[in-house]
Amino acid sequence: MNWQVKVAIGLVAIAVLGWFLYEIRGILTPFVFAFVLAYILYPIVDWMERRGLGRVWSTLLVFSIVFAGLGIGAFKVGDKLTGETVDRVFTIANTGDKLLIIQGMAWEDDSREQPFVLREEHRWPLGIAPKEELAIHLRFVPKDHAPAANALLIAYSQGKDEYSQRISVHGNSSAVAGSQAAGKSGSVVFSRAHIGFGKADPNVLVEIGDRILTETSARASSIEPMLQPYLGSDFRLAELIREHGERLMKTMLGGTTVFIEGVISGLTFAVIVPFVAFFFLKEGRRLTRGLIALVPNAYFELCLNLIYQANKQIGNYIRGQLLAVLVVSVLSISGLSIIGVYYALPLGLLAGLANVIPYLGPLIGIVCSSIVALATGGGLAMVAKVIVMFLIVQLIDNVLIQPTMVAKSVELHPLVVLFVVMVGSQLMGIVGMLIAVPLTGIAKVSGQTIYKGIRQYQFRVG
Amino acid sequence: MPSNPLWRHVFYRLRESVRSGRKEEESSTCRLLKKVPIFQDLSGRELHKIEEMLYGPRNWRAGETIINQGDPGMGMYIVASGQVRIAQIGDDGFEKQLATLTRGDFFGAQALVDELPRSASAYALQPCRLLVFCRPDLLELLENNTSLALKMVEGLAQMISTDVPELIKKFSAQLRTPERLLKGARRSGSVQ
Repeated sequence: MNWQVKVAIGLVAIAVLGWFLYEIRGILTPFVFAFVLAYILYPIVDWMERRGLGRVWSTLLVFSIVFAGLGIGAFKVGDKLTGETVDRVFTIANTGDKLLIIQGMAWEDDSREQPFVLREEHRWPLGIAPKEELAIHLRFVPKDHAPAANALLIAYSQGKDEYSQRISVHGNSSAVAGSQAAGKSGSVVFSRAHIGFGKADPNVLVEIGDRILTETSARASSIEPMLQPYLGSDFRLAELIREHGERLMKTMLGGTTVFIEGVISGLTFAVIVPFVAFFFLKEGRRLTRGLIALVPNAYFELCLNLIYQANKQIGNYIRGQLLAVLVVSVLSISGLSIIGVYYALPLGLLAGLANVIPYLGPLIGIVCSSIVALATGGGLAMVAKVIVMFLIVQLIDNVLIQPTMVAKSVELHPLVVLFVVMVGSQLMGIVGMLIAVPLTGIAKVSGQTIYKGIRQYQFRVG
Repeated sequence: MPSNPLWRHVFYRLRESVRSGRKEEESSTCRLLKKVPIFQDLSGRELHKIEEMLYGPRNWRAGETIINQGDPGMGMYIVASGQVRIAQIGDDGFEKQLATLTRGDFFGAQALVDELPRSASAYALQPCRLLVFCRPDLLELLENNTSLALKMVEGLAQMISTDVPELIKKFSAQLRTPERLLKGARRSGSVQ
């Protein structure tokens, strides 16, 4: 067989394998996560083993600590995130409505008393007698959640659309019903949104996106008349934003929610990832040995060399990226909290994660945070603060973190970054965009190592 | 231990078979390892650890090449069974047989200390079973199990110090292997 035929067969085999992997990507995802997790934890398990603990015990110990931490973290952060999200959807939806305006509502602690002002009369099942303050506990319930017995439905309209928000009243629901006059102030105790992590509808993302879009286009329509003299009366900024925003939202969020729904169906993800990662950690060496045993004698040393090299490079790359994500997330969350942007936690996390995408990542953080700052009524001054804050974080990242933590060898050309990020978003939405660059980095590292290795062995292979 | 006599018997037989099996297996590989100078100072437990790190035994057919002169070396080979021929292409371009190895012999230990290309080739004379110990595993031992690794490095150092002149010769001539081959081919008339 001459070499052209061999190459052709090889290419066909790679294409078939790629197609197969693409088809089973849903099943593959937990394995990829487990693989990455194992890579991250490998040095810790090794370190413990060095201290005299057995491999199994080290793995178990590391696992217990990491998963206890992750579990608690997921519940805490998840609770806060869903709470904040539902709360924000509610408040954003209510801005400017005719029913109830609650001012200065924030979701900081488990419960917090906030003064509220009733602007207009409405049918409110709880009566507040004149000159009297009443503390009521409000508990938000997601749309599709079974309503509590003492839930109350607040309906409001915005333009032609009618919205309704179901609020279950928790506590003092037997208060005397009656009407109350506008302008009365009282106090509302908001209890923490009682939504268990994972129970929130993934569509909440689409919902909040939709609200932000409505808000932005409403603001845009107010400045439209100012722009029209210059750009012609055909120029409708609000419509443009609405139309393009919706399309963007559909491709990005739609893909992501479908992807997340597919992956997190039931307990699959939560069970498979730790299970597989445990075996990667405990049996990693045996697994490699088993694979190498299958390699023909002629390529035995070559494969051994490649596996060791790639292993080292990929490990460094993954650990470096993880550390960078961690540092940038923490910096962004702190920064956003200090300047007082709502959603500091999810925005900071997003900025940290997006940071793995060179060039585009920092922009994503700035744009998302600015939109949120605008939509939550922060104004341009807040946007300026957000931009300055992100510039400082970027400075720290580029001067201190990147040079020390992320390997130089995986620098990707800007065009390559743009291309793979677009491919990623096409295939898997936001998640795809986030994992596209690290996956390309890993592929590049492996490719380089294999190429270098094969060149060294050209005596035999060439 | 179960109280039921039948189960006790089954349990006893099972335990004995596991014990004897492990002991036999251990002793055959460990006995082999004991013959290699690098491993001779190790305790039974340490030998068992090394045994877990070994690749193989891998099988080579008669006539097959095991390592090629000039390739980057990854580790040392220990002959578990069969015969291995070690040959080197000399300065004159002709291959010169250096040694024939049998069970308990080893070759390629140089690759444990440096990343230099192989100084000689090894071929299987008969069907062979070989065990392989790799440099990355030695490096890992140095990091994780220093006392074990030090014993091995001591053995390695002794082994190498005995043939330093040979090493210098190899080192200076190693990278010229392709030229040597060409020279030999010209001399034998197959290439003009």
